[in-house]
Amino acid sequence: MKVKSNIDIAASPLRVSKRRVPRAMSDSGKMKKPDVKLVLLGDMNVGKTSLLHRYMERKFKETVSTVGGAFFLKQWGPYNISIWDTAGREQFHGLGSMYCRNAAAIILTYDVTNWQSLAELEERFLSLTDTANEDCIFAIVGNKADLTDPKALEAEEMEAEEEGAEQPPSHPASPTVLKQVKREDAIALYGRVLRYKAQDERACLPAERMCFETSAKTGYNVDLLFETLFDMVLPTILKKRSENSSPTVDLEECRGAKQTKAGCCS
Amino acid sequence: MSVKAFELVPAVERELLMGDKARINIECIECCGKHLYVGTNDCFIHHFLLEEHTTPKGKLAFSAEKLLHKYLGLKKPVNELKAASALDRLMVLCDNTVTVVDMVNLEAVASGGARIKGVLSFCVNENPVNGDPFCVEMAVIAAKRRTVQIYMVYEDRVQMVKEVSTPEQPCAICLDGYFLCLALSTQYMILNYNTGASQDLFPYDSEEKKPIVKRIGREEFLLAAPGGLGMFATADGISQRAPVNWSESVIGAAVCFPYVVALDEGFITVHSMLDQQLKQTLSFRDGHILQDFEGKVVLASTKAVYVLVPLPLERQIQDLLAGRRVEEALTLAEGAQRNIPKDKFQIMYRRILQQAGFIQFGQLQFLEAKEHFRKGQLDVRELISLYPLLLPSSSSFTRCHPPLHEFADLNHLAQGDQEKVQRCKLFLISYLREARSTEGANGCREDVDTALLKLYAEANHESLLDLLASDNACLLADSAPWLEKHRKYFALGLLYRYNGQDDTALQLWARVVDGELQDSTRSDLFEYVVDFLSFCSNLDLVWKYAEWALQKDQKVGVQIFTRRAVTEDQTGQMSPDAIIKYLHPYQEATLLYLEHQVLDRKVQKEKFHTHLAVLYLEKVLSLLSQSPVPDREVTEAREQLQNLLKESSLYRVQLLLGKLENTELLLERATLHGKLEEHDKALNILVHQLKDFPAAEHYCLWASASQEPSYRQRLFHLLLGVYLDPEAAIAPGDEHAHTVAAVDLLNRHAGAFDALSVLTLLPEAWSLELLRPFLSGALRSAMHARRTSQVALGLARAENLLLKHDRLKYRGGPVLVSEKKGCQLCHNTFTEPDCVCLPGGVPVHTHCAAQRARNSPRKQPSTTPSNHT
Repeated sequence: MKVKSNIDIAASPLRVSKRRVPRAMSDSGKMKKPDVKLVLLGDMNVGKTSLLHRYMERKFKETVSTVGGAFFLKQWGPYNISIWDTAGREQFHGLGSMYCRNAAAIILTYDVTNWQSLAELEERFLSLTDTANEDCIFAIVGNKADLTDPKALEAEEMEAEEEGAEQPPSHPASPTVLKQVKREDAIALYGRVLRYKAQDERACLPAERMCFETSAKTGYNVDLLFETLFDMVLPTILKKRSENSSPTVDLEECRGAKQTKAGCCS
Repeated sequence: MSVKAFELVPAVERELLMGDKARINIECIECCGKHLYVGTNDCFIHHFLLEEHTTPKGKLAFSAEKLLHKYLGLKKPVNELKAASALDRLMVLCDNTVTVVDMVNLEAVASGGARIKGVLSFCVNENPVNGDPFCVEMAVIAAKRRTVQIYMVYEDRVQMVKEVSTPEQPCAICLDGYFLCLALSTQYMILNYNTGASQDLFPYDSEEKKPIVKRIGREEFLLAAPGGLGMFATADGISQRAPVNWSESVIGAAVCFPYVVALDEGFITVHSMLDQQLKQTLSFRDGHILQDFEGKVVLASTKAVYVLVPLPLERQIQDLLAGRRVEEALTLAEGAQRNIPKDKFQIMYRRILQQAGFIQFGQLQFLEAKEHFRKGQLDVRELISLYPLLLPSSSSFTRCHPPLHEFADLNHLAQGDQEKVQRCKLFLISYLREARSTEGANGCREDVDTALLKLYAEANHESLLDLLASDNACLLADSAPWLEKHRKYFALGLLYRYNGQDDTALQLWARVVDGELQDSTRSDLFEYVVDFLSFCSNLDLVWKYAEWALQKDQKVGVQIFTRRAVTEDQTGQMSPDAIIKYLHPYQEATLLYLEHQVLDRKVQKEKFHTHLAVLYLEKVLSLLSQSPVPDREVTEAREQLQNLLKESSLYRVQLLLGKLENTELLLERATLHGKLEEHDKALNILVHQLKDFPAAEHYCLWASASQEPSYRQRLFHLLLGVYLDPEAAIAPGDEHAHTVAAVDLLNRHAGAFDALSVLTLLPEAWSLELLRPFLSGALRSAMHARRTSQVALGLARAENLLLKHDRLKYRGGPVLVSEKKGCQLCHNTFTEPDCVCLPGGVPVHTHCAAQRARNSPRKQPSTTPSNHT
């Protein structure tokens, strides 16, 4: 049984605030209008839902194949960011470009142990991003790094200690699965994505910053990935807000302006 | 687990429609207020009046009354019906033709203009762009022409206003504002018929399944997507809600917020739009039509019509809460916010939050519970009342009805698990603390504070004292027995004190100090009580407990008086005189009190000083009379006495001198003689009786401390005289000692002596070398004095000279005035001998100078008018 952290009333507020408040507690976030959209794309079984779940719920759980899509609202400072989890199955492919419409950032996800999953990104998913914002930010994310990278395994032990270690941390077994996709391959893909989008490589964010290797299972690099992207889309939100505000006629403001110009008539 | 969100209620039975005619099927329905229209495949329109009523069992039921049926005269089925209640018209699609008929008598409108041919399907704009209320906007899919036409339908005519072409043949249509949502043969799209802008949504295959296009709200549509999905799309082509996963073979769908209701071959499925989960499944065979009309979901099989009645939201939420599905319940409540008037929603939502909080509280999820209590603005007493005995017996609180939770009390909740009870209590402490600091305790502060006090006392919590020492509303009558029970007597005293019963508090504390009651809260309780008394403004109380305190410990007890703030009143009960009188039986206390008055407060009163000196003296004497004599204490006591004698000049010297007459306290006597300026006596005592030469020297310095240098000189000479007095009866060995002392005195204070008179005093036999430091010192100081005065003289002379020089200089030479000489200011000549001399000796007329002075009043020339003849 899972024991919640709030046993000790006198627990320091720091610890309390460190824990993410469960979704239902976040002031009916669902009703708020999102300011900006992030979309996770990638082949089935690369772990898109798990990544999002790890980030939002702070844990890894077995997920079933996503049907259609799902989305979460994340409060980031004063802004609401909607993160769309799409279905990787071919069956739902047609919906992809609708999900991507007006997206500010797209996370192209592959499985580091599966070369084909990287190839699919270019073959199937890249064209879906045509409907995204012109200045859309791209991140290439290789998930399941815990299977190939000892570093990614360590994250789990740290996490486990922090959580109060219900089960002994799994033996630091050396990763057994062969890594099929190297980081360089992802970086190269990032370059091709930018060329496809006809974006100037030099003006864009550098590939080193936009290619991640993560593990939803251990939490390795997951927060880094989302929070880096959140910070990057902030300018988009501001731009959107300023664009939205300009066509609105502010009667108060108008009156004020008239008053200042009234000099010549009086 | 599922929710019971809807109930399926029959509306029109088969008998009313087609009886036992097997081949007749329902083709379409329309519901407008209480009017239900049913179109059948044999070209009939049936018109029913649908009455809603509640059965004795409390269930909702419908009774249908058939008003009319009308044969349209063709052998084709009636495909679509749509009512326009503002116009009293019903639009009928039959045989690819839309006709407008009267809603009441179902007769076609007379004029031939109200007819559109070649129509595949049509829809009405529920968000019209035209402002005319007596005009309905309608979009029509033209059969086989890949166009959509927009019509305005009036009471007696229809008018086409727009025609747009589409890339493929549309097969389903929906309209909102200018936005057409179309199902084409291979994809869905949004088309703005005003601007022509289009937006592809997503592909699907119309061969494979029937498309669904459903307006669900302002500029938002629900579409059937491949893979059994219900997709949401806005007019911008964006999906703002996650899709719901219904079945592959959905025939009809509608939104009844917050649910998406879908019909397939065997079932009605209900998904929540809030969390996309399947919430309810109802079996429904031969389902044919599912449509919503003004929020009412109506279904039809081929033979009968049903209404899907939503259960009241509150009941759904209560069902969820009963199943402890807190998150779902809250999500549902929040989702319904838009559909419920604000004040009503607030009341409902608060109650749900409170219930949710109690469920989580019962599961010991305190963090969540607290958040929900806070957001639900829970009456704190609801929570307190769970804990037995915490609410004051006088509290008027009764639990809310119906109850917010199922717990009788904490013991019921914890089922005897003491650890649980403890955790709940700790939670309540933290909760009440927060409630106190916020608005939460408004109106029931007494209950909150009393409960908190009880919890603190029980848990031996350190904050108990903080609570009582600060502003609080603890009820005395209820708290006192509780504190006694937990032996918190000190705290109880504080409570009494807070309630103005200082006497009771002191009584209680005195009993604790005396060991009658046990309370280890404060080890320094006695000091606390004394301190309290020293501040206490009730003097009766002070006198009452002063005796007890002084008997307990004079040294501490006297602080009642010494710490007391000084009042102006010097004659009343608390005047120093009265206090000293009162303290009389307590010698130590008296002494401390006088010390406080004389030494700390520096009260200049003879009586106190004398009294204190006498007490000091008595103390010394009593110590000296002990055997063995406690040396250290005697030294200490004498030091105190000596200090007082030296520093003070107010005490009665003669009195003390008399008391010292027959004692060995010579130093003190010398001091007293000094006070009387009987320096010879004093020095005699010091030199001859005490033989303490440094003391004698010190005496000289002390006695002359604030006097002229000559006074000091006189004393030193006196001392020297005493040293050198050949007459005095000196013991044989002393003569030498006196000589040495005299030499030392001279050498050490060379400057203080009048060297000449010293020389005459000194015996001839003394060597020069012996007196060298004295002589050189005396010489040097004499020399210094002479030179200093010479310098001063020289300086004074110089100053005088300078002044003389200045005087001569200012006197200046003669000023010449003649009749030929002109005035510098008016340039006229002088006629009179009177003139004013400007600085530099320039003569001008007196009136010119006066005018100039008037013209520039600020810069008045500081000339001294001088008359020259």
